Amino acid sequence: MEEFLSANQLYIVLGVVLLIWAGIVSYLFRLDKKLTKLEKLMNKG
Amino acid sequence: MFGKTSTTIFKYGSVSLISVVLVAGLAIPMTVSPQSWLEFPVIPGLEEKARNLFFHVPMSWTAVLAFFFSAVYGIRYLRTKNIDFDVVSVSSAGLGLLFSILATVTGALWAKFNWGAFWNWDPRQTSIFILLLIYGAYFALRSAIDSEEKRAGLSAVYTILAGLTVPFLVFIMPRMMAGLHPGAQGDASGKGPLFEANMIAPNMRMLFYVSLIGFSLLFLWLLHLRVRAGRLEFQQKQGER
Amino acid sequence: MKSLSSTYAILLKDAQSELRTRYAVNALFMFVVTAAVIVQLAIRSEQPSSSVLSGLFWVVVFFAAMSGLSRTFVSEEERGTSMTLQLVATSSSVYFGKLLFNIVLTLLLNLAITLLFTVVFPGFVVQTFETFLLTVVLSSIGLASASTILAAIIAKANTKGTLYPVLAFPILLPLLMTAMKATARALEGDPFGAGIEEYQILISYIMVITAGSYLLFDYVWKD
Repeated sequence: MEEFLSANQLYIVLGVVLLIWAGIVSYLFRLDKKLTKLEKLMNKG
Repeated sequence: MFGKTSTTIFKYGSVSLISVVLVAGLAIPMTVSPQSWLEFPVIPGLEEKARNLFFHVPMSWTAVLAFFFSAVYGIRYLRTKNIDFDVVSVSSAGLGLLFSILATVTGALWAKFNWGAFWNWDPRQTSIFILLLIYGAYFALRSAIDSEEKRAGLSAVYTILAGLTVPFLVFIMPRMMAGLHPGAQGDASGKGPLFEANMIAPNMRMLFYVSLIGFSLLFLWLLHLRVRAGRLEFQQKQGER
Repeated sequence: MKSLSSTYAILLKDAQSELRTRYAVNALFMFVVTAAVIVQLAIRSEQPSSSVLSGLFWVVVFFAAMSGLSRTFVSEEERGTSMTLQLVATSSSVYFGKLLFNIVLTLLLNLAITLLFTVVFPGFVVQTFETFLLTVVLSSIGLASASTILAAIIAKANTKGTLYPVLAFPILLPLLMTAMKATARALEGDPFGAGIEEYQILISYIMVITAGSYLLFDYVWKD
C-alpha cells in the first residue's frame, strides 16, 4: 500500500480533492435542508 | 422556479457526475499508446496538465451560462416587473462571478506551466477578465441604488446590455486575433471552435462532456439554493415593513 | 414623420442648451488638452510606436467621452426637466435625439484629439486617410451609442459620474480594442482593404448596441 502510494502520488492528490469535494457537498446538502426548514417556518407564520 | 424532480436531478446528478469526473480525471493513468478505455493518451506539450481540461473549461462554460441566465431573467423582470425574477438574476450573476474567478485562477495556473506566465493577455484571458469586470460593475451599480424596483430595473438593463457585447468577446474576438488558446487565428487547426472534438481521444472527450453536464447541473443546484435564500430574505424584509 | 421631427427637436434643444452653457464642450476640450500635455511631458523626445500612439489616442477619447457624454441625461435630472420631457416626447425620439447629439459631440471630440495629436506628437501621422476616417467615424457612433444608454442609467441611479467609466469600460472594450487595431493600421500605412474584418466588427457592434438600447431605453427612461 505504502509502496504503491509513493510510486503513484497522484492518488494522494485525488484523496485530498475527494475529501474537499465531500466537504463541499455535505455543506450544500445541509444548507438545502436548512432552507427547506426555514421556508416551512416562514410559510406557516 | 424549478420543480421538485428537476432539483433532485440537479442535486444528485451534479454530485455523482462531478465525483466521477474527479476520480476518472485524476486517476486514469496517461500512457503514450493507450490500449484500453482506462488509459489516456499523452498529449505532447500538455502531459499531465491536460487533466485540467476537465475542470478549467467547464468552469468557464458555467461562467458564461450564468451570465446568460442573468440576462434572460433580467429580460423576464423587465417584462413582468416581478421582483422574483430579479432575485434569480442577481443570484445567477453572483454565481457567475464565482465561476469566472475559478476559471481565471485555474486558467492562470495552467498558463503558468504551459505558456510560461500566469497572464499573457491572450484574447480569451482578456474576455474572461472583461466578464469579471462586467460582474464587478453590475454589483457596483446595484449597491449604488437604494430603491428596490429601480435597482432591479436598471441592473437588468445593464446585464442585458452587457450580454449583447459578450458574444463579441467570447466568440468573435478570440478567433480573429492571434492567441495561445486552441482555435485562435494562426493556430494550426485553423479558425474554429475553442474545443475541437477530434483533437482529443474519445474517452477524454466523453469525460469532458460528462464534466460539462456535471458543472452545469451544479450551477443549477447552487442557483436554486441561492434563489431560495434570496426569497426568504425578501420575505423577511417585507415582514419587517 | 412626427417622431422624426421630435427627434430633431430634441437634438436642437440639446444643442442650444449646450451652446448656451458650453459645459460639455469646455469640459471635453480642457480634458483633451490636459491629457495630451501630460502624455507629451512624460514621453518628451521618445519616439512611441504607432500602436502605442493609437492606444494613447483611444485612452484619451475614452476618458474624455466619460467626462462629457453623461451630461445629456444628468442635466435633465438635475434641472428636473426629465418629467416634462417624458410628457411631451416619446421615449424613442428622446433616445435618438440624445444619441444624435452625443454622436456629434463624439465626432467633434475625435476631430479635436486628432488635430491635437498631430500637432503634439511628431510620430502621429495618418498614412492611410480612408482607414483612419472610417475607423474614427464608426467608433464614434459606437462609443456614443453605448455611452448614451449608460448615461441614462447613471442619471437614474443618482450616482452622478463616479460609476460611469466603471459601467462603460467592459461594454466598450470590444469596440476600443478593434478601434485601436484599425488606428494603428492607419498610422502604419497599411492599404485600405487590409482590415475589412475590423469594420465588420465595428458595424455589427453599432447595430447590436443601438438596437438593444432602443429596446431597453423605455425601461430606463420611464420610472
